[in-house]
Amino acid sequence: MFNLETSIGEWRKQMLAAGIKTPVPLEELEGHLREDIARQMESGFNAQQAFAISTKCIGQGAELKNEFKKAGEPITTRFIKLVGIACVSLALLFSLWTFPFLFSPEISLTAKVFGLAAVATTLLSWRFNHRFLPVIRHRLIRTAVGFACCVGCVVWIQLFIINFLPHTVLHLGTEVPRGALMAIFLWGWTVMAILGGMAYGLEKAARKNNEQHV
Amino acid sequence: MIRKELVAASAEPLILSLLAKGESYGYAIIQEVKARSGGKLQWTDGMLYPVLHRMEHRGLIKSRWGESETGRKRKYYSLKKDGKTAMAKHHEQWSLVHSVLAGLRKEQYV
Repeated sequence: MFNLETSIGEWRKQMLAAGIKTPVPLEELEGHLREDIARQMESGFNAQQAFAISTKCIGQGAELKNEFKKAGEPITTRFIKLVGIACVSLALLFSLWTFPFLFSPEISLTAKVFGLAAVATTLLSWRFNHRFLPVIRHRLIRTAVGFACCVGCVVWIQLFIINFLPHTVLHLGTEVPRGALMAIFLWGWTVMAILGGMAYGLEKAARKNNEQHV
Repeated sequence: MIRKELVAASAEPLILSLLAKGESYGYAIIQEVKARSGGKLQWTDGMLYPVLHRMEHRGLIKSRWGESETGRKRKYYSLKKDGKTAMAKHHEQWSLVHSVLAGLRKEQYV
């Protein structure tokens, strides 16, 4: 005796076995299958016939898996974007945290201007840097440059936080005004935001370029 | 029936144009394309979803999970700003191809 729910369950297993393992496509495909079965049944087919027609229409698991694979973003690209976003978020967080201190009366006007310029650059580089970045069409080269930016971020922040800042504060702290230190601190994060933004922005620039050449 | 290559090439402009009318979901998109082409333009149903996902990755469309009339989860797609730009480009290019073909055909009957 044919049981529709059992058959759909079996079809799901076949799709999983064929390699469609991520929940989103499978959920979507199952929704589609169920709607089509319902439609076939409305037009007079019994459940078994409707199931056979609908599964045939939806296609083979292996073919679909290949197409979904082509549609997905490569894991390296996702990783680079994620690191880029993390670096920029961290830079933004520290910049915005330091931002109110710029308005203290003891901070000189020059330090204020430099500090504000750093915060503005951090914010704008995140939003608009893809417009000024070169379009690297070759995916491998783009990935390599993106990866280099990520490494650059980590190396820079290590040098800045562990080496440069303590050195400046310890050895020049008494001579360097507080406002200048704050501006240096903010620009340090801006460099990180620019590098992180580049890692993310290169992909965005390439994508935007693709859209323009559809 | 329309050739497989042409069906594949027309998928993106058709999806963009359908979504320009408003939010929709996979099954409805397929049914509308079938109806509008009198059944001559047919995709392997499942193949639509990788195309939709690819377009989403490229930032042409966006999606959200909603509910169908039966209460099941359903993924709805809608057009993004970049999708509108891409659609305009597609229309321009397909119109050009159409006008060249029409012109050549007309010349054959002169």
